[in-house]
Amino acid sequence: MMRRDYILSAVLLVIAVGLPWLDPPRYLLAQGLLLFCWATVVSQWNLVFGIAGIFSLAQIAIFAVGAYSTAMMGRYLEMNLWYAFPIAGVIGVIFSLLIGLGCLRMRGVYVALLTIAVGQVLFVLIMGDGECSPLNPGICMSFTGGPSGMGGFGGFGWREVLGGRHFIIGDYYSMLGLLILAMAFTFWIIHSRMGLAFKALRDNPELASSRGISRFKYQLLVFALSAFFTAEAGAFFAAHFGSVGPGQLSFTLLLFLISMLIVGGMGRPWGPLLGAFLIMGGDEFLKEAGEWRHIGFGVMLLVFMIFLPDGVAGLIDRVWRRLTTRGGAARAGKAAPAE
Amino acid sequence: MADTREPLLACRGVFKHFGALAAVNNFDLDVLPGDVLGIGGPNGAGKTTFLDVISGINPATDGRIRFGGADIRQQSPEQICHAGIARTYQLNAVFDTLTIRENVLVGAAFGRGDRGVFPRMRFSREMRARVDRALALTGLEDRQHLNARELPVLDRKLLMLAGALATEPKLLLVDEPVGGLNPHEIDQVMEIMSGLTREGMTIILIEHVMRFLLALSKRVVIMHHGEKIYEGVPTGLLQDERVVEVYLGEGTAARLRHLMGGSAAHG
Amino acid sequence: MDYLIQIIVSGLTLGSMYALSAVGLSLVWGSFNCLNMAHGSVMALGAYFTLIAVDSIGFPVWVSLPFAMVGGALVGTAVYYLSVHWMLNTRNYETNIIIATFGIGMVMENGLLKIFGGYPYAQPLTVQGVAGLIGNVPVNYRSIVIWVVAAVLMVALGLLLTRTRAGRAIRAVAQNRDGAKLMGVPVARVYVQVLMLASLLAAVSGILISTTLQIVPYMGANPLLKAFIVICLAGLGNILGALYAALLVGLVEASASTLWAPQYGFPVILVVVILALIWRPEGLFGRVMVARQ
Repeated sequence: MMRRDYILSAVLLVIAVGLPWLDPPRYLLAQGLLLFCWATVVSQWNLVFGIAGIFSLAQIAIFAVGAYSTAMMGRYLEMNLWYAFPIAGVIGVIFSLLIGLGCLRMRGVYVALLTIAVGQVLFVLIMGDGECSPLNPGICMSFTGGPSGMGGFGGFGWREVLGGRHFIIGDYYSMLGLLILAMAFTFWIIHSRMGLAFKALRDNPELASSRGISRFKYQLLVFALSAFFTAEAGAFFAAHFGSVGPGQLSFTLLLFLISMLIVGGMGRPWGPLLGAFLIMGGDEFLKEAGEWRHIGFGVMLLVFMIFLPDGVAGLIDRVWRRLTTRGGAARAGKAAPAE
Repeated sequence: MADTREPLLACRGVFKHFGALAAVNNFDLDVLPGDVLGIGGPNGAGKTTFLDVISGINPATDGRIRFGGADIRQQSPEQICHAGIARTYQLNAVFDTLTIRENVLVGAAFGRGDRGVFPRMRFSREMRARVDRALALTGLEDRQHLNARELPVLDRKLLMLAGALATEPKLLLVDEPVGGLNPHEIDQVMEIMSGLTREGMTIILIEHVMRFLLALSKRVVIMHHGEKIYEGVPTGLLQDERVVEVYLGEGTAARLRHLMGGSAAHG
Repeated sequence: MDYLIQIIVSGLTLGSMYALSAVGLSLVWGSFNCLNMAHGSVMALGAYFTLIAVDSIGFPVWVSLPFAMVGGALVGTAVYYLSVHWMLNTRNYETNIIIATFGIGMVMENGLLKIFGGYPYAQPLTVQGVAGLIGNVPVNYRSIVIWVVAAVLMVALGLLLTRTRAGRAIRAVAQNRDGAKLMGVPVARVYVQVLMLASLLAAVSGILISTTLQIVPYMGANPLLKAFIVICLAGLGNILGALYAALLVGLVEASASTLWAPQYGFPVILVVVILALIWRPEGLFGRVMVARQ
């Protein structure tokens, strides 16, 4: 089990690191970079939703907070973005911790509501920011850039080092580095004592608390820990594109990311990466189909929920188990719903 | 009968109200170290609610509950667990997606305490040793890598017991450990439980299977409408008119008298 | 004073529209503890059904309402057989159904976009004109129709749930699924009926909403979110509570829009509801008034 993980990591790493040396089209590098970005976000979402079982949809808002805080530090404080990145991460953690505090007493879909609402409030605030102040009609100062977004805050700085033609390779490796750190972090958490607490609380909160696990503590911990790399992904996203906008809070992005989580396999360590790859690949394919793209996504979600609720990673796991434990007790996972 | 030792658990005037209903009504109870207390009574008598009250799942509305000298009435379930009370549930509560070993590891890793804002990440050698001990006590070692979801009822009951034992409790609360099992399986659980009592484990036990309850308990309490209607030695139970009337019925009492007569000879 | 009347008039109108969709959503939650994320798209479909009935088929305007109601009920049946039917006995079925119905909603919404385009249509089923003044505030016939339709459907739903055999079966399932099954209630059939009923109400709600705005494919998204907020505020599964909460949310939104600015209506609702939920995590009316334990 663990050996399989190491081999898989090594193979994927060789492919990802090697890709730029094959002189691929620029488009492929740009898409690869995006893949790393979304896989980072989804891997952290998986920690909250898949591992800890908290139905939070705040990940998009945390991503946007990371992106916007980086942009603002670059624009207003004229900071080198590499200094802004860790600060953006910390801001994301604090933001997520506040959401976690608000959600503490709620369960299930109430958490989904509150976390969707947080994103919506941010969206409305940013969209309304472009208008002139009703108190001082002469001043039209927009702090966040309003509906059209903001730019002009710099980037990774690879353009200066590698030149205009090759800077994307620098961006590519930066994002890859982030994904590697995020994945390593996720594996570390999942297999640690803390990860066991998350899973216990997910499976049976009452039993977990009478075995000595504090829901208060671990719920706040998972909100805080999953926020850092999510905000960081937002920060890197902003640095790569050189602009941020309210589109990062849209339902379309939410749908896109949740599809990755579902198709990949919720609660499985490799699920997010697999899901990001499949969805981005499928999206590439559906781009030809024009307006059918969203219909295709909807049908896919439905089909997966009916036939493969534990995603492709779940399917692979089951096949693997059947192969390794000859005729073993690896039964397909159908059981009565909890409680 | 008089015992001068300090009680491990002391309940005084404990109430649990649900609206106008008193599910636990003015309950007094002392449990001494090494005691094995059986609680019986008809359905809805408040037995499980009483365990919920002690373990903090459903805190008491009034009264005093002292454990090892400290007041635990207002404490959270996890604090009470850390203080040394572990329980099992009437329904088969396990962590469904975890293996047997991981299930027990939860108790071993968190049951003794979990200090600090940022918890320790590694599993220590003591934790693993506690898991091994609990698995050995319940005889689950050979199945430890099976998924909890796929287990039969007996194994789920044993798994709950193992999870509680892995916290190395000073007081073990057991809620219907043999409900729904066949006679052969009951004997199996009985053997494990009497192993625990021989080692001096303090236990509060709820069970409807009277043969099981009477064989294990050193002392028995019968509850009815949230109140204690009997407290004393197991054999006295069968002579108590009220207990026979509200709970056992004449036939069962006679059968049990016969059975107890037999087992009393073994000492 | 006029402000107050204005707030009450538009608050009641908003509240009536929200109530129809929220009650349906709450009914679904009460029966199988799940959110139907396709509910918003069913609202949009309801509005398009009247459009199809009048413009494409050429039915008289008054026929388009029952046409859309039947259409809504059929869509509800389809939602059942495409999602709930397959998932009720799986692990994490709550989440699975949410995501699956989200997918169904996507398909419906984008299907509408594909067929009708993004161009907004006017709702053919509407009445024009001002009925009169309360103080200095004009009251439209349209608002009165909305109040009457909502009130009639609410009363009908109440009678259905309390006085008929099917309604009693629905309430029995909401109280205790396993118990109802043991008593011989055909649970699967009850689920279909609940989704039909909820979708029928959603279709009517969509029609009412489209009389004040326009018909566009994504018109259900915002009302769905509001219905969602309403049932959380009320306490999930609490049907009568959902009615009160819908009126409350309508009044809060109307106050914010009238006293401040229209675009602040939604954020104000969210902030008020979040504070209310932090104060009472089980909703304002909790589960006291519902049948569920």
